[in-house]
Amino acid sequence: MLEIKNLTKKFDNKVVLNGINLNVNKGDVIGIIGPSGCGKSTLLRCINLIEIPTSGEIVLDGDNLVDNKKHNITRRKIGMVFQQFNLFNHLNVLENIILSPVALKLMSKDEAIRRATELLKKIDLEDIMYSYPNRLSGGQKQRVAIIRTLIMNPEIILFDEPTSALDPEMIGEVTNLMRKLRDNGMTMLVVSHEMNFVKSFCNRVIFLSDGIIKEDRSSKELFENPKDDKLKTFLSKIGNY
Amino acid sequence: MKKVLLIVLSIFMLTGCSSKHNELIVVTEAGFAPYEYYEGNKIVGVDIDIAKKVADYLGKKLVVKDVAFDSIISEVKTGKGDFGAAGISYTEERSKEVDFTINYIDSKQVVIVNNNSDIYNTEGINNKKIAVQLGSVADTYLTENYKDVELIREKKFLAAIEDLKDNKVDAVVMDEIPASKLITDNMRILPNELLTDSYGMIVKKGNTELLETINKVINDLKNNNEIDEFLLNHMGIKSKKESSGILGKFYDSVIYNARYKYILEGLKNTLLIALGAVLIGILLGTISAISNNIYENTGKLKILHLISKAYVTVIRGTPSTLQLMIIYYVIFRSMDINMVLVGIMAFGINSGAYVSEIIRAGISSIDKGQWEAGYALGLKYSQVMKKIILPQSIRNILPALGNEFITLVKETSIGAYIGIIELTKASDIIASRTYDYFFPLMIIALIYLVITVILSKLINVLERRLNNARN
Repeated sequence: MLEIKNLTKKFDNKVVLNGINLNVNKGDVIGIIGPSGCGKSTLLRCINLIEIPTSGEIVLDGDNLVDNKKHNITRRKIGMVFQQFNLFNHLNVLENIILSPVALKLMSKDEAIRRATELLKKIDLEDIMYSYPNRLSGGQKQRVAIIRTLIMNPEIILFDEPTSALDPEMIGEVTNLMRKLRDNGMTMLVVSHEMNFVKSFCNRVIFLSDGIIKEDRSSKELFENPKDDKLKTFLSKIGNY
Repeated sequence: MKKVLLIVLSIFMLTGCSSKHNELIVVTEAGFAPYEYYEGNKIVGVDIDIAKKVADYLGKKLVVKDVAFDSIISEVKTGKGDFGAAGISYTEERSKEVDFTINYIDSKQVVIVNNNSDIYNTEGINNKKIAVQLGSVADTYLTENYKDVELIREKKFLAAIEDLKDNKVDAVVMDEIPASKLITDNMRILPNELLTDSYGMIVKKGNTELLETINKVINDLKNNNEIDEFLLNHMGIKSKKESSGILGKFYDSVIYNARYKYILEGLKNTLLIALGAVLIGILLGTISAISNNIYENTGKLKILHLISKAYVTVIRGTPSTLQLMIIYYVIFRSMDINMVLVGIMAFGINSGAYVSEIIRAGISSIDKGQWEAGYALGLKYSQVMKKIILPQSIRNILPALGNEFITLVKETSIGAYIGIIELTKASDIIASRTYDYFFPLMIIALIYLVITVILSKLINVLERRLNNARN
């Protein structure tokens, strides 16, 4: 469903992505790993065009997103969850969730509130519906951010280090929600440093280094039998992940 | 019958052609008794009496306009006033700018010193500190002929007398007639005058029709000794005993002749100007800041962006007094426009540039992640701006905006420069009648203080409300 062809991205003269080719099938849960600065986050940000690629194609359902000038419309199909949550600080939880569908007239306000309440109930967050972000824990914030993405009914969700900014005891509540999404067949791309999580959560893992994909295999194979030298070094440095 | 109709018609056409609907505008600075000064809320004086005769002669209604002395020539030059009458002496420099009528007054410039001074004749002023009115005959004469005196140029001759009272200067040089009325028991006038000078009125260069009319009126008045009569009339003005003691001075400054009305009028105009300017400032500032942001983010609105960049640069890089004068004397050159409106526009345009910078800083204070989250949810630039960035920016910039508005209220005081009767000008008018600055200045200082304290309290309340809403 999502096809990335020969994607490159330069910042000034520094090449960050140097020809990425990737096919994402519906229901894929792909982990993206690699040393810091290898372009993992940039790849995600290029996919929903927060960063505009220097060259290459990103084809979603047969549509090349890079050529399409209506980025805001194609972005509705691609959800994104940020490391720093990026909840809107001046709005409460409910308002955060319904802002976009109501502003884009995808649903009525009443319907949006009903949907949001439903989603919050499923993960026992209806108590904090009217709280402002500065009153929430990191785990709560990230789960609200995920629901804010879900209400748009995206075809794919990009996770940019979703648990890196969380205290250890909060990580579980976020990964549990992600597991539920996976089990419901959501297509996901996850950038993460948590190797245990990537290994157990993703069905497919790509190793990114020097701006290209060095390995792209099933999670089990890649971790148990790494081929690329850089991947070997990377895994050994992380050690007993 | 036909003849009468024709005459009526031609009068109609004549008056229709003349400058401002049957009005004759004389420009002066009302703070130079007995030639021009305030009585109640009316400007009167010898010059005004003569001007009235000119207007009567022409069958027009006299309108008296009060501006700063150094602005009178430009008012006449630009046609904002028909002629100037303010005890103006002929100088070659001035005659290059405007045409002078024949003299209607021969005045003497005298030296005033304190009783205990060691100056006894006019030669004694060498090497001394001397106060004069800025731009007056005394100023020009001393500047040219007495290179070794130290001149203190006050905007008002009253302030010059105050300087002498406080021993800040050794002497004051001014016109004999007001001098004789101004000196206190502790002062004396030196026996010989410094120079004899003559006053004329001024008209726009080439306006010979008006020039000849005024000359004729002056000649008639002179022949009938009427000008001397005017002078005597107006010199009787201060025969009212001078109130003594704090209460008496307060009475003179505020209650006598309903002088508080100046302060109320000034307060009304100050508030009107500040309020109007705030609205215009917010409007212009928002347009400017947003257009810059739109350009930086989307590349659209390039021309508006360039205009607003230039606008902010020019306004922030020039003094606000200058901007006010340019708007009044250059842009509205020959337009008959309400002064308060000019003030609102000038201060609004000025404030807008600062508001623009405040909003720009407010927008850039918002974390990049807020933009990205908005975009990632499929929102357009305009929606992210309106629903996510601006609401958060406003909270951040409220203190800075509050400061800007408090500054603006105080800034309106320079409106006095082009003759807007706001608070500062009001106090000036009262002081020019009572010859005492204390109460007028203290009262308006207090009023400014009350306004700004109330404003900052209001802003505090607003800030607290916004913060509470978030928690």
